[in-house]
Amino acid sequence: MGTLFDATFFDTMIASVAVGSLYALIALGYTMVYGILKFINFAHSDVFVLGAWTAFTTTTALIAWTGLSAAGAPWWLGPIVLGVAMVVCGVTAFCIERFAYRPLRKAPRLNVLITAIGVSLLLQNFNQLPPAPGLARTATVSFPFGPTPKTMPELLPDVILNESIIATGTLGGGERRGQVLLDRAVTVLPGRTYRLDVTRQTEAGPVVARFNLNNPPVGEVQAGTPLVTQPLRPPAEMQGLAYVLVQVPAVTIRLVDVAIVGTAAVLMVGLLWLVFRTRLGAAMRAVSFSIENAALMGVNVNFVISFTFVLGACLAAAAGFLYPIKYPSLQQPASDVWVLLGLKAFVAAVVGGIGNIRGAVLGGFLIAFIEFFGETYLSATIGSGLQDIYVFTTLILVLLLRPAGLLGTPVREKV
Amino acid sequence: MSDHTQANHTADHAPGPQPGATDVARALLRAEGIGISFGGLKAVQGLSLAVPPGGLDGLIGPNGAGKTTAFNLLTGVYRAQTGSITLDGRRIDGLRPHQIAKAGMARTFQNIRLFGNLSVLDNVRLGAHVRGRHTLVGTLFRTPAYIAQERAILARARQLLGVFNLLSRADEPAKSLPYGDQRRLEIARALATEPKLLLLDEPAAGMNPQEKRDLARTIQRLRREFGVGVLLIEHDMGLVMDICERITVLDHGEVICHGVPAHVQNDPKVIEAYLGEPG
Amino acid sequence: MSAIHELTQKNRPGVGLTVAHTAALVGLVLGTGAVMQWVVGPAAGIYPATILRQIGIVAIAAVSLNIVNGYTGQFSIGHAGFVAIGAYAGGAVSFYANSLGWVGAYDPAGLLTPGHAVMLAGAAIGAGAAGAAGYMVGLPSLRLRGDYLAIVTLGFGEIVRVLFQQTQSQVFDPQAARALPISGWWPPPLGGAQGFSSVIPYGELFWIYAALALTVVWCYRLKFSSSGRAFLSIREDEIAARAMGVNLTRYKVRAFVLAAALAGLGGAFYAHLNLAVQPKDAGFQKSFELIIIVVLGGLGSISGVLLAAFGLGGLTEWLRQPTSVWPAALVALALVGVVQAVRRDIDSRARGRAMGRALLVIGVLTGLFEGLRAFAAWQGFKLDDIRIVLYALALISVMLLRPQGLLGTSELWLVPGQLMRRKAKAAAAPSLRTAGPADPAAAPATGVGGMGGGVTEAGGDEGWP
Ligand SMILES: Nc1ncnc2c1ncn2[C@@H]1O[C@H](COP(=O)(O)OP(=O)(O)OP(=O)(O)O)[C@@H](O)[C@H]1O
Ligand SMILES: [Mg+2]
Repeated sequence: MGTLFDATFFDTMIASVAVGSLYALIALGYTMVYGILKFINFAHSDVFVLGAWTAFTTTTALIAWTGLSAAGAPWWLGPIVLGVAMVVCGVTAFCIERFAYRPLRKAPRLNVLITAIGVSLLLQNFNQLPPAPGLARTATVSFPFGPTPKTMPELLPDVILNESIIATGTLGGGERRGQVLLDRAVTVLPGRTYRLDVTRQTEAGPVVARFNLNNPPVGEVQAGTPLVTQPLRPPAEMQGLAYVLVQVPAVTIRLVDVAIVGTAAVLMVGLLWLVFRTRLGAAMRAVSFSIENAALMGVNVNFVISFTFVLGACLAAAAGFLYPIKYPSLQQPASDVWVLLGLKAFVAAVVGGIGNIRGAVLGGFLIAFIEFFGETYLSATIGSGLQDIYVFTTLILVLLLRPAGLLGTPVREKV
Repeated sequence: MSDHTQANHTADHAPGPQPGATDVARALLRAEGIGISFGGLKAVQGLSLAVPPGGLDGLIGPNGAGKTTAFNLLTGVYRAQTGSITLDGRRIDGLRPHQIAKAGMARTFQNIRLFGNLSVLDNVRLGAHVRGRHTLVGTLFRTPAYIAQERAILARARQLLGVFNLLSRADEPAKSLPYGDQRRLEIARALATEPKLLLLDEPAAGMNPQEKRDLARTIQRLRREFGVGVLLIEHDMGLVMDICERITVLDHGEVICHGVPAHVQNDPKVIEAYLGEPG
Repeated sequence: MSAIHELTQKNRPGVGLTVAHTAALVGLVLGTGAVMQWVVGPAAGIYPATILRQIGIVAIAAVSLNIVNGYTGQFSIGHAGFVAIGAYAGGAVSFYANSLGWVGAYDPAGLLTPGHAVMLAGAAIGAGAAGAAGYMVGLPSLRLRGDYLAIVTLGFGEIVRVLFQQTQSQVFDPQAARALPISGWWPPPLGGAQGFSSVIPYGELFWIYAALALTVVWCYRLKFSSSGRAFLSIREDEIAARAMGVNLTRYKVRAFVLAAALAGLGGAFYAHLNLAVQPKDAGFQKSFELIIIVVLGGLGSISGVLLAAFGLGGLTEWLRQPTSVWPAALVALALVGVVQAVRRDIDSRARGRAMGRALLVIGVLTGLFEGLRAFAAWQGFKLDDIRIVLYALALISVMLLRPQGLLGTSELWLVPGQLMRRKAKAAAAPSLRTAGPADPAAAPATGVGGMGGGVTEAGGDEGWP
């Protein structure tokens, strides 16, 4: 048992929770729409992609217009970007519902499903058209977003929250390249990794370079003992620079992951509150129980349905905002990467029991766990790169064993 | 037309057994204590039925009594949670609906379930499907067996449509028929499966008195010509009392009375269950 | 002994009819291939012939998908998975047969070389493998309805894609292939993420269109057979179908197996035309393309799907090189005029209305195409770049304006009969007629699941017996 809960396990766990909360955010949108209209909104994952690209475009535009440095964005940039993404996605989802789905509300479900596929294709492929000539077109900002992948500027600094600083001071140059001398004694524990953050002054301001220590001697290390770092810089260049010696934790907790999980958690709790504690939520549940009956009871069905779409889109926009913070390379909107991501979120909704809000959250985490733990622990025996197979096999198994998903209630057709 | 059909089903027993018998020695259909509940609702409970070969029995009861659910249990749409069902001496509970159809039980539906976009003719032809063998390869090469069977199905379907006076509308989509015709088409389709027992779920619903009289005559004729037993759910008491030989009354999922029409008509429990409705 | 059985035994025909039907099948298959190879192909030129070959393959896949989505009413969105299985199997068989030295080098002049025999064997293997996969996908369809089945088929396509990514790298060197021990063939050397390439170009017009003809004839005979009625009944009402004795599992699985096998057949030719297969070919984007065709043509209509396949193929070409659409518009207008003039099912006022409507539709479409062309020329972009955007818009518009697709469930050859006969019957039963899908004057906005009022099969028009 001792070896089971090792660093690998916890790293996998953290990745699963972070990505799982993204899946859950997207899955909620799928599930809410299904709960009310009983059809799969295939275009939902494209709203998520739209969110990601809007976040990217807004960030680059804000950075360009305000003249901020791309490296250290101020903290208030994030909420603004999130807000813009939510508004754009919400308006898009409102229009989709109003103009594509509402006219088909009485049509067979298959028609709506096909329309949703059409809307999905439209969003994907429209969004990756080259920028329209009339619209703003700078080197970084464009709409539509164009067919090339981009890199998201760093909105959050990559900070490891649980690392501990064990020494600070000024470096002395070693004898050889890659060698540095610390100006004070430190204690090096066996089996841990250490990092040296070195600050260099340049014209643009201080720049921090990060070096790992290679096999430092274990135990009490006296000041002036030569330590080996990765980059082989001339000793003269290193001498006199300010350093911070960091003990890297066995399991790293990054600010990005905490921000993702925190934002997602706040949104999910907010959603649960909205759905289960407010009048509007009661109206949503009533509509999902029966559109006709809800209408008879005086619920404004059209409003509730539009609201549900917008709500789902806002959650997807949040996921789209959070995703590139963790994985900054942004694929073009019609890329398979996105489709697969959206698909997994959708699988999460189905596995959890589509139509069931708690099920979507459960499914999101479950799918991420299966994906990451499968890849970590099964790749040696079965082969690597099979995450998708695990996910879809889970889907098929769950559907065969519990056709309505884990938390879904099966409906029996009355004869 | 159907000398052979009749011979098939009624070779070893004369049609039209003693009316009035509350139980029959050799039942075509025998259900013993079947029941099902949905959540907490006991939709049918301890229902026992016995329909003799070629018999015409009724199943009545107020709305929501569990009559349709009983049909669903008999035809395998729902699996009975208790009890046993035998058809012609063979256990059929636990079989799947298509197996039960093959075993010789066919039904109509309270809320008509025709194949709306298929032609009237195709609806009946589909009924005959269960008595044939169908391979994809035969379809591609049109083997002699396939051709013969396809002709047989066509002939049989036309014959049945003739019985129900629907031949002139054979090529129309089923959903374009008027309501009464749709009900009769459903019966024709069920008959095409060559059942030993036909379950009719409110066949007269939505019909006018004339149509109802015609329907009663048709049902009698089916028994004569096809030797088929009938179990009938119907709200029209006049019709039921006229043609049924035995009647079972359900209320709240339980049998409250069973017997010949005259007996049922005068049972106080039945009158009470119907609360003022003419019993 | 059932009545049907006895009737069947009594009227057993000789083999003559079967021989005639089979001869018709063979004649159609070879005839279509021959006409395409020696008449249409040379007349069209090399590039159009290649386009025709592509469309032929797409048509095979779409017509086969129609068995599941159109006839049986199940919604499969993983069909490209079956196509890819056939493509990999077919491509690998002929590639490795060649590099192992079983057959000689490709001969561009031959149509029935030993290489072609191997290619056909590969196509059969591909169809078999795809059919087996279809069996596995079909099984869960008993427990899963509608959306859920769609998801499972989608998952299936993705699994196929990932599995092909996991194969070993292709063995290009004949020497190395010959030296490969038996164990070296597992996992199969299908090229992994790079895909399988250098397939030998056996995909001639003749073979592709022979395969298409086989697919179409089979689907046609199926649609009007007892098995076909079982499929259709499942689409119409599963509960009633079950109660009438249709074994749902068997027929759903049958539909999947047949559709998958035919898709696999098409896939094998795809490999020999495209000369390369990629794991991506199994992905849902390819499946969506097939679905678009089936939906545009009309779920359940063979001729509708063929029209849509060729129409979309033509549209793709037009988008590549847009030319003026006026001539086509005039031809269409003339055609509609003739049809409206001769149809007997409506009176002159309705005829006028129908004509006006047709004029409007053609006018709008012409304006649309011309506008697009002008806009693209003005803005200086290629229409081809926005192809999928236009398809998506078309799909949505069709769902909103004509949900039953081009032909609904009807067939092209049934339309004249409907136009000619309707009136006489309408007189007999005035209030009960519903408009057929071919009647532009009154296209009912019913859905895909229960489409247009038209008869699915008008008696006597089915080509039977
Ligand atoms: N699938 C089901 N799930 C839950 N409850 C059901 C189901 N089917 C039937 N019921 C309930 O079982 C009871 C009996 O219904 P059933 O349809 O059998 O009545 P019935 O006697 O046919 O009535 P009617 O004369 O109105 O047709 C009703 O209360 C009904 O709501
Ligand atoms: Mg009932």
